[in-house]
Amino acid sequence: MACLHDHSCEDHDCSSDWSLYKHIDLSKVSALNEANPGSVKSVFKAWEERLNTSGEHLESNEGDPELLVFIPFTSDVKIKSISIVGGADGTSPSKMRVFINREGIDFSDAQSMQAIQEWDLVENMQGVLEYQTRYSKFQSVANITLHFPENFGGDTTKIHYIGFKGQATQLKRDVVATIVYELMPNPSDHKTRAESGGGLSHIE
Amino acid sequence: MVLEATMICIDNSEWMRNGDYAPSRFQAQADAVNLICGAKTQSNPENTVGVLTMAGKGVRVLVTPTSDLGKILACMHGLEIGGEMNLAAGIQVAQLALKHRQNKKQQQRIIVFAGSPVKHEKKMLEMIGRKLKKNSVALDIVNFGEEDEGKTEKLEALLAAVNNNDTSHIVHVPSGPNALSDVLISTPIFTGDGEGGSGFAAAAAAAAAGGVSGFEFGVDPNLDPELALALRVSMEEERARQEAAAKKAAEDAAKQEKGGEQPASSQDATMTERASAATSEAENKTTDLMDDENALLQQALAMSMDDPAISHDVKDTDMSEASASDPELALALQMSIADSTKDQASQSDMSKLLADQSFVSSILASLPGVDPNDPSVKDLLASMQNQPEPKEKNDDKPSDEEEKK
Repeated sequence: MACLHDHSCEDHDCSSDWSLYKHIDLSKVSALNEANPGSVKSVFKAWEERLNTSGEHLESNEGDPELLVFIPFTSDVKIKSISIVGGADGTSPSKMRVFINREGIDFSDAQSMQAIQEWDLVENMQGVLEYQTRYSKFQSVANITLHFPENFGGDTTKIHYIGFKGQATQLKRDVVATIVYELMPNPSDHKTRAESGGGLSHIE
Repeated sequence: MVLEATMICIDNSEWMRNGDYAPSRFQAQADAVNLICGAKTQSNPENTVGVLTMAGKGVRVLVTPTSDLGKILACMHGLEIGGEMNLAAGIQVAQLALKHRQNKKQQQRIIVFAGSPVKHEKKMLEMIGRKLKKNSVALDIVNFGEEDEGKTEKLEALLAAVNNNDTSHIVHVPSGPNALSDVLISTPIFTGDGEGGSGFAAAAAAAAAGGVSGFEFGVDPNLDPELALALRVSMEEERARQEAAAKKAAEDAAKQEKGGEQPASSQDATMTERASAATSEAENKTTDLMDDENALLQQALAMSMDDPAISHDVKDTDMSEASASDPELALALQMSIADSTKDQASQSDMSKLLADQSFVSSILASLPGVDPNDPSVKDLLASMQNQPEPKEKNDDKPSDEEEKK
């Protein structure tokens, strides 16, 4: 499902809507079949920069248009819609399949697994198209995997921008990593007003 | 320290019976595998290694990726030689084993020992390589054993298809006097990508490369720390004893010379002792000494040339530096301070002596660690000579002296 912006962007600041990129854990973003390792990090940027094709972009290996992008978030997010700006001359991806909260997916897994949602993409050179999600399924997303199986006939697949619209919650899905257990209370943690002011209660 | 899961593919085909690698190709391969497992698990404790065989009845996984070195070494026992190697199937099974690793954060790597002829087509190998690259699996190939025409070409093509940013390597090991493991130690297969090697690999390399050159006293501190420590302590004691004896001799000899010569000569003495002790030690040690000696010599000579009032501060700083690096030298310098403060008149005489180019050059030449052709030393000599004599004459003299040496 694709929708067009039915207003001009001067009315409100679109960039605030597309600010989920700030909650992406960039150091852990990875892609499979990318031509330049690490180039996947360059596609997560502010809304204003989405048409900026001069910098680095994500490109797949020669002769193989498939791409798999793994994106972890720093906290759980709710994703309302996704926007993709691809390359010109048939290098834009034509299909997108996403998987939620699954780590370590590779191409054979992606091809055999049932995706949470799939979209047929169109060439989105102006960056105005967004693809809405079935919001109920995207309520607490800790990480998302995007699989682009095909493109519009180009030798490689190029992606300049991936944007997420939605809300960030402050929750984290991860298991609690470090817990400190106290065997005995530490008096310094429990200073009372009476102690500083002088009074009957006295903690030694 | 990259976190990695590795699958090692062993060739246990009939071609491994051959003895052109001592003791047999298969044994050499097994030793190499043991070393690689050790290096991987040492470089990062969370690394896992698995092993599979490619020949025999078919591709068989002996142990899935695990960090338990004992399990890996145990499974290498009782392996039978036979059959033909199936390289393509081996790599594919290895890829599958890596896919099901427990820790998905580990990088995937396959190490293949290709000892027998490769019967697959180049195209098929390239396809496999591309699939590995697509799934970001790195591949290391050890080409040994049979030297089939086309085998090298096929393996190089496979590497080219897999290689992504130099994470994959190929090593050709011809049969020869060196063991397979020794040759592999220095390759990037062992040392990892640009890490400079784990301690294990470096220690093993040094030990294998010929004992003495790698380590002080020819003993690996990793293997026998107590022995290494004992040797070092006894060397220090011997050095101290020799230094004391030499100092005494130097004192007697130096009574003819002026006080200011003390630092140079006792330094000479200490350095000669040190040098004689150090002849059995590694090259790097001597170069370090040379640098120290150069600096200290310059300081000593500068000290003796300077105005005693000014030189006091210099001496103090020198003392602290010297004592930090060498207590014997500190003693020598202290003696020189005592002497120069007592003996003001001797300064002029001493300067005359130092002005004597030939004398100074002979001292410098006798110091084994000091290279008279060193530009810093040359400069020092030149600057020294500036005071009593004209510069050109000095430049000629030292160069003559140095040419003679």
